[in-house]
Amino acid sequence: MSFDLKEKGNQLFKQGDYAGAEEMFSQAIQKNPKEPTFFSNRAITRMRLENWAGVEKDARVAIDLFGAKNPSNLKSRYYLAQALLELQRPQEAHEVAVEAYQASLAAKSAQSENLSKTVLRAKQQLWAAKEAARVREQNETLANMERLVEADLQRALNDLQGQLDRGEIGQIGFSEDQKALREDTEKTLQVLRETFAIASKGEIQERVVPDYLIDPITFEIMHDPMITPSGTSFERVAITKYVEQSKVDPITRVPMTVDDLRPNYALKGVCEEFLQKNGWAVDW
Amino acid sequence: MFATKRLSKELIKIKEHLPPGISIVKSDNLEEWQMDIRVLDENPLYLNQIYRLKFTFNNKYPIEPPEVQFIELPTTSETPRPIPIHPHIYSNGIICLDLLSSAGWSPVQTVESVCMSIQSMLTANSRNERPPGDKDFVSYNRRRPRDINFMYDDDNI
Repeated sequence: MSFDLKEKGNQLFKQGDYAGAEEMFSQAIQKNPKEPTFFSNRAITRMRLENWAGVEKDARVAIDLFGAKNPSNLKSRYYLAQALLELQRPQEAHEVAVEAYQASLAAKSAQSENLSKTVLRAKQQLWAAKEAARVREQNETLANMERLVEADLQRALNDLQGQLDRGEIGQIGFSEDQKALREDTEKTLQVLRETFAIASKGEIQERVVPDYLIDPITFEIMHDPMITPSGTSFERVAITKYVEQSKVDPITRVPMTVDDLRPNYALKGVCEEFLQKNGWAVDW
Repeated sequence: MFATKRLSKELIKIKEHLPPGISIVKSDNLEEWQMDIRVLDENPLYLNQIYRLKFTFNNKYPIEPPEVQFIELPTTSETPRPIPIHPHIYSNGIICLDLLSSAGWSPVQTVESVCMSIQSMLTANSRNERPPGDKDFVSYNRRRPRDINFMYDDDNI
């Protein structure tokens, strides 16, 4: 009975009626709250509806019901990571994605490719959050410095007014000095803003990913590189797919199998460090 | 699948720079591109000619090779593009090149590197002839180039 509702939900989902599908899965859950696929199906439906808090809840229940070690839970873990990314919780998303990615490799699951992408996405968001904070901080620093320069000007102008009031300088001298003070301040502010601009532009200009971090198959930055017997490193998901199909080394064409691939931990460390500082590289 | 992202990245690189004698003429989508190639030396077989290559990609690119063949534009067109004469190029434009077969392909190859290989395959040739059995092949072959088991019997061409 509850499975009939699920079947109806699946059909509505295929037709693009996500609200209708969600309703069917909800009814199925009411009848049987112990069936994990009802929750995982409602999770992906809610992804389409962009109800991310709902996706998080459903995905977590589905993972629980499947059991932590069951590879059938990998799709739900992927949904969960997506939801956490959308909810701007990159740290948690990264943890979920990395663990699920490792589990998907162990289980030789088809989810590896999606999860591999999600790991990179999470790394990017982690960086973006840090970067936004840095820019904010820099902007605040600039604003503070501008305030200090302007306060200096105000003090100098007040002094000048005092000199005029006490008759120490004449009206003409006062006007000239006042103008000079304002001009000096304007110049100082300009130099200050230019300096800050150069500092942040410098980083944008250096936005180049070194070739040795780029997977020669996907042309994207790697996060889990594997090295072939002939010594070239590739992203795990890409090289695995190629070697499974061709059974040869892509550079030398010497016969090989997936078991001949070795993780390249040194390069992985370099990629990780690079991504921490350059999350933009994910979209490069 | 990697195809879309990988191709858009190749396209960015290609638009920045291509080796001499190779240019991109059509890349409206990520399924079919057309490239023009020209032989750079004085080889009389190909002097003053430009040839048009058609690349067709499926969503398994670059794990699987693109389909690459020459296409002909008539001499009456504004940009005439003949099929170059070569003992490994059939008169319908199908190219017999190990690199383009499923067995000879490597995912580290790119559109640019394929064009360069074909360019040098022409440069190195001095034989003014079509592959043996060209006529029959052209009239009977309905298979896709990738699926044909060419005999790569003379590696020195």
